[in-house]
Amino acid sequence: MMPEMKEFIDQNRVWYCLDCGKCGAVCPITRYERRDFASPRLLIEKAIHGHTDDVMDDALFWSCLTCKRCSELCPSDVYFSEFLRDTRTLARSFDCSGDCTHSEMVQTWGKIMSDADQKQNRLNWLTDDLQVSEDSDTVYFVGCLPYYDTAFKKMDVEGVEIAQAAVRILNHLGIEPQVLADERCCGHDQLWEGDQETFRTLGQINIENLKESGAKKIITTCPECARTLKIDYPQFIENHGLEVLHLVEFLAAQEFNGDTHLKAAVTYQDACNLGRHLGVYDAPRQIMDDLGFELVEMSRTRNAALCCGTSCWTACGQVSKSIQVERLKEAKATGAETLVTSCIKCQIHFKCAQNDPILGDEIDIEIRDLTTLIADSLMEHG
Amino acid sequence: MTTLHPDNIMEGKLQSSSKVIVITCNWNAYSGLETAGTERLTYSSSVHPIKVMCLGQISPGIILKAFEKGANGVLMLGCPPGECQFEFGNRRAEEIYKEVKELVALLGYREEQFKLDWIAAREGQTFVDVVGNFVDGLNGSANNDA
Repeated sequence: MMPEMKEFIDQNRVWYCLDCGKCGAVCPITRYERRDFASPRLLIEKAIHGHTDDVMDDALFWSCLTCKRCSELCPSDVYFSEFLRDTRTLARSFDCSGDCTHSEMVQTWGKIMSDADQKQNRLNWLTDDLQVSEDSDTVYFVGCLPYYDTAFKKMDVEGVEIAQAAVRILNHLGIEPQVLADERCCGHDQLWEGDQETFRTLGQINIENLKESGAKKIITTCPECARTLKIDYPQFIENHGLEVLHLVEFLAAQEFNGDTHLKAAVTYQDACNLGRHLGVYDAPRQIMDDLGFELVEMSRTRNAALCCGTSCWTACGQVSKSIQVERLKEAKATGAETLVTSCIKCQIHFKCAQNDPILGDEIDIEIRDLTTLIADSLMEHG
Repeated sequence: MTTLHPDNIMEGKLQSSSKVIVITCNWNAYSGLETAGTERLTYSSSVHPIKVMCLGQISPGIILKAFEKGANGVLMLGCPPGECQFEFGNRRAEEIYKEVKELVALLGYREEQFKLDWIAAREGQTFVDVVGNFVDGLNGSANNDA
C-alpha cells in the first residue's frame, strides 16, 4: 500500500469500516450510478486492500458529493468524505482529476484569483442604499456571488440579490458591515477536489485581508464559505481566531419582532455544508417561524436531507439530474409554494434541473434563497 | 493526442512571450486570416490564432483559461450578422461574449483586453486592421494587471 494512502486511511478512521453497507443504502450516487456499482463501502474495501488504482478509478471517486449523508449513519464513524478529499489530493499528484463542468469556468476564476496581484472589480453590486463601513468589526464575506450572478443570469438565479439582501438585513439590525474589495473565492471546491495548492493560496490571501481589515466576526451567506473559513482555514492554513458564522446562525441569536401574520407555506432544503457539515438545522427554521412562514418539511429533512446533486462543479450528469429531480418532486409533494435554500449552489442546481422541458410541471416550484426571503419580509413589515 | 481540454488548448499557445489570443471561426474570420496570408499582409507576431469550427461553440471557461494562462488579450472573430455558416452561431457567440465580458470585468481585466468582432470572408485587410487595432488598444493602455 502507498504510504500516503495508509496515512489517509489512518487519519480518517477507514480501518473501522464494518462493511455493514448502511452508507450505500443512503448514498445518492449509489442509488443512481448505472455505469458501475459504486458505494462508499466498496471504495473503502478497495482502499484497505491497497488497490489505489482501483480506488481512483471507482465511479464514486470524483462523483462523491461529500454530502456526509453516509457519515450520519455510519456506526464506526468513518470520515468518508474527508477520506476522499485527501485521496483526491493524491490523485492530483498523478495528474488525475474529475470532469469539471462549464469548461472549468469556476475553477479557472478561482485560479485567476489565486494571483495575489490580481485586482478585482467585484463591488459593483453595492447600491447607494446599502450602508457599509471600513471600521466595522464585522465583515460580510460575499464569496463568489457576483460571479455566479453573471455566469448563471440566464437561469434567473439570485446572485448579487443575496449579497444586497444580507447587507440590508444587517443594516436593519444597525450593523454596517465591511465588505472586502480584495476578497477571494474561499477555495472550498479546490480543497474538496484535491487542489490543495490553489486552496492554500486563496486561503492565505483571504486570511491576510481579513486580518488587515481588523474584523473580529465574519458573516457569510454561503454555507461552503462558512465551513471553509470556520473549519478548513484553521485546520489547513492558519488558526485565524476570527468568529465565522453563516448569516442564519447570526440572525437566530437576534430578536426579531415576529410578524405573526401567517405567510405562504414554504419548504426548506438543508444545504449539506450548513446542515451535516456545520450542524445548523434549527436556526433557519426558527427564523422562518419568527417571520411567520409556515414550514412544511419534506420527507427527508435535517440530517437526512438529500443533497442538491452536484458538488465542486465536477461530475455533473445523469446521476446529478436524477438526484435533483427526485428532490424537487419531494419538495413539490409538500404542497409548499416555495422551496427555500440557504446556499446559492443548491439554487443553481435545482433551477438548472427545472429547465427540463418534459418534466415541466412535475418539478416546477419557486426557489428562493433564505437571505432574500428574510430581507423581503423585514422590509415589508419594518 | 491533444484533446479539446481547455488546459491543452491554451498551454501550447501561451508558452512564448507573446500573449494575444485570437479565436477565429473556420469560415468568414479564418478566411480573412488566410487571405491576409496570401496577400502577404503582416500583423503583430504576438497574435496567436486559434481556429474553431464556429465561434458559438466556445465556452466561457476556455476564454477565462486564456487569461489564467497569461494572455494579455483575447479577441473573438466570427462571421458577420446573417452570414453564420450554422445560422445561429454568431448570435450564440454574442451571448457568450456578453457573459464573459462581465466576468473578466469582475476579475479586474480592462475592457480593451476582451473584444468580439466580425470579419467577412476573404477580407484580408480588414482582418489585419481589426487585429492591429486590438493589439494597439492593449499596448496603448498601460499597467496591464493581467
